[in-house]
Amino acid sequence: MTVTTETEAPTPEQPEAGEQPEKRPPFMVLFGRYLTEANSVMVTIYSLLLAFLLGAVLLIVSDEHVRGTWSYFFSRPTDALEASWEVVSNAYVSLFEGAILNFHTLDRMAAGNADVGDLLRPISETLTYTTPLIFTGLAVGLAFRAGLFNIGAQGQLVFGMLGALIVGFGLDLPAIVHIPLAVVAGAVAGAAFGSVPGVLKATTGAHEVISSIMLNNIAALFLVWAIGTGFLHSATRSELVTKPVDDSAIMPGILAPIDDDLRVNYSLVIGAAAAVFVWWLLSKSTFGYRIRAVGFNQHASATAGMSIGRTYVTTMGAAGALAGLAGAALALGVGSGGITTNTALEYGFDGITVALLGRANPGGIVAAALLFGALKAGALSAQPDVPVDMSTLLQATIVLFIAAPALVKALLRLRAPRGGLVTLEAKGW
Amino acid sequence: MATDTQAAAPSHVDESAVVRKRGAGIAYGIIGLLLGAAALAFLGSGDETVFTLDRTLSGARWTVPTRAAVIVMALVVLACAAWMLAGIRRRLFKLAAAIALVAIVIALVSWSVSEPGMVFRTESILAGAVFLSLPFIFGALSGVVCERSGVINIGIEGQFLMGAFTGVLIANITGNVYAGMLGSMAAGALSTMLLALLATKYQVNQVVVGVILNLLALGFTSFMYDQLKKTEGYNSAYGVPSNALDGIGLGFLADIPVIGPVLFDQNLFVYVGLILVFVVWFLLFRTRWGLRTRSVGEHPAAADSMGVAVNRLRFWNVTAAGLISGFGGAFFTLANSLAFTKNMTAGLGFVALAVMIVGRWNPLGVLAGALIFGFASQMAEYLDAAGNSIVPGPFLQMLPYAVTLVVVAGLIGKAKAPAADGVPYNPGDK
Repeated sequence: MTVTTETEAPTPEQPEAGEQPEKRPPFMVLFGRYLTEANSVMVTIYSLLLAFLLGAVLLIVSDEHVRGTWSYFFSRPTDALEASWEVVSNAYVSLFEGAILNFHTLDRMAAGNADVGDLLRPISETLTYTTPLIFTGLAVGLAFRAGLFNIGAQGQLVFGMLGALIVGFGLDLPAIVHIPLAVVAGAVAGAAFGSVPGVLKATTGAHEVISSIMLNNIAALFLVWAIGTGFLHSATRSELVTKPVDDSAIMPGILAPIDDDLRVNYSLVIGAAAAVFVWWLLSKSTFGYRIRAVGFNQHASATAGMSIGRTYVTTMGAAGALAGLAGAALALGVGSGGITTNTALEYGFDGITVALLGRANPGGIVAAALLFGALKAGALSAQPDVPVDMSTLLQATIVLFIAAPALVKALLRLRAPRGGLVTLEAKGW
Repeated sequence: MATDTQAAAPSHVDESAVVRKRGAGIAYGIIGLLLGAAALAFLGSGDETVFTLDRTLSGARWTVPTRAAVIVMALVVLACAAWMLAGIRRRLFKLAAAIALVAIVIALVSWSVSEPGMVFRTESILAGAVFLSLPFIFGALSGVVCERSGVINIGIEGQFLMGAFTGVLIANITGNVYAGMLGSMAAGALSTMLLALLATKYQVNQVVVGVILNLLALGFTSFMYDQLKKTEGYNSAYGVPSNALDGIGLGFLADIPVIGPVLFDQNLFVYVGLILVFVVWFLLFRTRWGLRTRSVGEHPAAADSMGVAVNRLRFWNVTAAGLISGFGGAFFTLANSLAFTKNMTAGLGFVALAVMIVGRWNPLGVLAGALIFGFASQMAEYLDAAGNSIVPGPFLQMLPYAVTLVVVAGLIGKAKAPAADGVPYNPGDK
């Protein structure tokens, strides 16, 4: 590497200037140009960097001790800088340790106090949180391709969770039938609830953003009521928690052979399969073609003989099924615990950020789900040091930049890419 | 107005023409019949609904036999339905529909408080309804200003959260609740300024960014809430005096029955909200700024050719709208004398959007819609607190959301948004 840069150094700009315009510029120049261009890869990378930078600023500003040191910055600047560095690095290191690899566990392993299971726990947690995010990300992303902004994944997830739970404890079947049946029940319940905004939009023109937000609130309240009913409420515990699913319906853990505590289960595999399926659906099937056509230009699609209303209903139904699968993954993954009002967390809303970061492509959605799953696992394990909502904040900041590439381009003075900036669109009223 | 252009599209509509409204007539007819049949089937002759004036006249008490009341109301609904089916002057149709709706509401309300031991505290409930309509008034007015200028503001929920959080924080730091109010206005304006910048200068999709701004506000306020919780004294409850008029010597007006508690015994937020409705209406429909704003929202290219700086006007209008929705955020904390909690707005910012649509992007319509939603919230709260309702609590709490869903589904096809709503304006590609 050093050799090539030295040989390039004596010939700086002259060949490019005018005499040999056809000559392909050296790799490093092209690479440098790529780095300073607002293409979708670089916008993604810069969005991540900017978000973590903003997160660091907020950590510094909101920490009382660090604020104290800044107040006498001009007399002893090192204090403020050290304290700021410490609070930021502590937060990000503990996020990393909670999500990927804990260095303390490595030390303890060297001393013989920990085993492989302990070492794999952060990864297992990350993948556990990734699983529902893949489904909800796909649920939002698929609808996006039809020009629909499905922010109702949270409600669809709740109904999927209830559907899978009821089949999970209500039926008495061998595991080989019970698990698939419970998963399907989750998908069906999610699809039924998810298609409601589609039907409303198709028949009355009600905007899916408002109707699905209302349905989210209704679903959350319905869950509170449902858990309290005699049919679902735990027979042994007094707090607001449901019966657990039968042992035959519990989704087996992938890493359970290594250590029973590693929670990541085969729902992750279903998630990966769902991503592949959605990719196939969108790029190879007639249904997917219709989705993309309606999303691209609904008037042209209508002229071509496609039913816009039917596409809205089926797309929202399919999206609801995907979010319902996230619910099934939660219901069958909690093991002997049963569902509480807190089980669903904000996976449905996180699905919006996952889909935006993944630019509504199945591959991108899986990658984004991994990143945000890691953020969630990290933030939850680093509890006292880092506020839980650090992950929500970082996610929202990242996708704000993703949704506004022009902002990133202007902030960092990037060059415009050849194909124009890539953004996602959703229609107004 | 947007609604007029739609109605006037084919030719001039004769308001005094007699028309038959078959769909609405049949719908109201079925509801009226169901209501009457249900009253006969489920209500006994001994059921009574008691109305009291609990705030001003402690002795006043009217007892109405519930079954007879519901049946009378059902007959009123049926009469309206028959009127619509037989043929009604177009001008009077809205009146008939409104009478039927009010009758349905009275029937349902008197039924729901007919349990033994329950009374309808008329003054408390109506005053509470006005108070609870405030977040919808502020949120929807902010939406009206934005959307009349052609920018969709889905981020009202986020502006509420920012306003609610900042209001308490500033009130705690300064020790002054009015400074807190200013703080929440500033926080709301800063949030919408970001939306305005992205919508005008960077031409982003306003629906997508609006939803992200909501998430950002939720993440930011929750994060700061956790961080500031570590030290005392940033999130204590601050409230405004419960009767604003008392302070200026008009407290005696509160003793007038019914009107007193509803209009003259409220806190500052109620007066700001009610006055603001008329101020925004006047500004939008009676001033030069309003005409320009509406033209920018309907046809920006035409406004541009007349010399209006479209994007600059949009930017400042959207930023100013943030003052309103930020102040609406202060309702959740300062008006209720509550400390901030995570996600305390619970989706009401989106309900406010629905109110804006119901009000057809008109401040006066917004006031009517907000009062309906406030009444629904107040009834749900009242029945829930009474505790002996047949309907489980969570279902009562669903009421405002369910009403929104029904109303949006029923109206949005007919209510027309400003023509250029949500469309970025680029002077280059006229």
